[in-house]
Amino acid sequence: MTGVAARRTTELLVEREDADVGVTVIVTVVERPEPLDALYREYAAVLAECGRSYEFIFVAHPYFHDMLEPLVALERQGEPVRTLVAARSVGETALLRMGLDASRGAVIVTAPAYHQVQPSAVAELLAAVDAGSDLAVARRWPRLDSRVNRLQHLALQLTAGRLANGALHDIACGVRAARRDVLQDIPLYGDFARFLPLLAIYNGYRVVEVASPQHPSDLARRLYSPGVYVRRLIDILGLYFLLRFTEKPLRFFGLIGSVLAGVGGIALAVMFVQRLYGQPLGDRPLMLLAVLLATLGVQAIALGLVGEMIVHFNASRRRGYRLREPRKPDGDQTSRS
Amino acid sequence: MPRTRISLPPFIRFLMPIPVAPHLSIVVPLYNEEESVGPLVDAVREALGATTSWELVLVDDGSRDATVQRAGALAARDERIVLVELARNYGQTQAMQAGFDASHGRVVVSMDGDLQNDPRDISLLVEKLEEGYDLVAGYRMRRQDKIITRKIPSWIANRIIIWLTGVRIRDNGCSLKAYRRELLDQLHLYSDMHRFLPALAAATANARIAEVPVRHHARKFGASKYGLSRVAKLLADLLTIKMISSFRESPLAMFGLGAAGSGIVAAAFAAAWLLSFAEDVGPLDSAPMNAYVFPGSALLCIALAVFLTMLGLIAEEALQKARFEERDDRIARRVTG
Repeated sequence: MTGVAARRTTELLVEREDADVGVTVIVTVVERPEPLDALYREYAAVLAECGRSYEFIFVAHPYFHDMLEPLVALERQGEPVRTLVAARSVGETALLRMGLDASRGAVIVTAPAYHQVQPSAVAELLAAVDAGSDLAVARRWPRLDSRVNRLQHLALQLTAGRLANGALHDIACGVRAARRDVLQDIPLYGDFARFLPLLAIYNGYRVVEVASPQHPSDLARRLYSPGVYVRRLIDILGLYFLLRFTEKPLRFFGLIGSVLAGVGGIALAVMFVQRLYGQPLGDRPLMLLAVLLATLGVQAIALGLVGEMIVHFNASRRRGYRLREPRKPDGDQTSRS
Repeated sequence: MPRTRISLPPFIRFLMPIPVAPHLSIVVPLYNEEESVGPLVDAVREALGATTSWELVLVDDGSRDATVQRAGALAARDERIVLVELARNYGQTQAMQAGFDASHGRVVVSMDGDLQNDPRDISLLVEKLEEGYDLVAGYRMRRQDKIITRKIPSWIANRIIIWLTGVRIRDNGCSLKAYRRELLDQLHLYSDMHRFLPALAAATANARIAEVPVRHHARKFGASKYGLSRVAKLLADLLTIKMISSFRESPLAMFGLGAAGSGIVAAAFAAAWLLSFAEDVGPLDSAPMNAYVFPGSALLCIALAVFLTMLGLIAEEALQKARFEERDDRIARRVTG
């Protein structure tokens, strides 16, 4: 049994090495999909124009299983398309990782199952990756969006966008290109795929933005259910903590805790002094509030200490830095930013 | 000729007699030090000459100026000089850790890249280390810095560190330190821990520590990279280092103590409540509110005590594996080294 399994694996490996694919386009089908065969033709035309060998992997949420049928037909006709369907309901991150595992190209292009920018942007993204960027991100610019969309975009930029220190202007745009080893190195989990460029910057990769006009079909007003906004907000909070405080949790919890405990402590101190001057303590409800604040503050600090303890003991397992990979001798030496 | 570094398995290194690891490694983190690199390398060369086998590990911490180019040129000309490039600006702690990881010497000396330390002191530190210490810290004689913004805060911080950790180091802020390789193998720096390195070394590795006076020069180039605006961060770090030096072996004990303290406060509130029933206590309160305020406060404190105890248990749980692995590691070292 194991012998058979082992042989199959080698076959797969051989097949992978034989297939010298330049670019793998991973399309995650998880929301508002447009007809996928048309999408495939548009992107494929751009890649063919660039003169690159390519393959497409469409990774779909089970809900959109039926959307893949025209693609399966294309695959039968011999087009370089593969389709994957997740076994259960998973998010974009898991779909992207499935696609990544199945990909063969040295460069990966990710795209959503709908238009955000003109497909021709992919050519510029690939050129940016060739020029030495680790990750190139499309930016919908000029932006022709409806007012509601712009407001949402602004809200996202003012929260998560600030984590990029001004380097990115459209983190919600899912059209990106990167070397495969870069994408494989960035730890992707949870719902963080949508913040991929931020994680790349955090891991010390060179990220560039490529402006591309917004696609006309992206202009329609989009509103989501309130739950979606709550989820996003929680994601951004998690991301904020991950990028800023992973190594120093006490600075985060300690700040919250010391403000709470400080307010409570000052109130308590004032009341005890007043007690010394004869004002009774027992009938002041403010005291309950002060004690509540103080205990909450201590709880926050204690949580921060647990975090520090975990960081301390895990420090031996992983290094907190990444070295710049040595530049190839024939590569472009001037592309350092 | 740039030196090519090939990392070989230990048994092969053992078989190859000639390219021995240098005895002494000097690790210098650099961040925007383009003017200092050249003079620094010259000073190190002059101070060490051909006395021992040494290497100089320059760590570029994502500088935005010409530091990398200059350091790279120096490393290309002298094979004793190694340049390590971090992928982005990670901070001094990570830069030092990267330098330690890249160095090969049995003895490692760290120093600042801004020429304020004097490489002629390196031999003093190494001599002291060879008397049988694991870590020798320099302390700056006649420190050439501003009194109000640098010297006084630093003096206070050092006093507090001594008081909290019991490790008597006069000058934690001096980067000029010498370490035995065996110590560095057990130390894992993260966050801003390089400032508390002696305390960390004492707590995690039972290091034998000594101090040696060193020279200190005024800054010649560039701006100082420290400021006064870090008190809050420093306080959080001090709390962390206190926890690590006192409770690293038993997190539950720390939270248990906190819970006990909270229980005592709860008891005090309960006592105040009972006392308030006694008529003769006077103004401590006959108002109806006293039926809520004191018992309520006591209950809040009891809740805090319960929370802290459970947090301590969860901390033990979360740290179980890491602590167990570390223990193995330390025993193995004691036998071999």
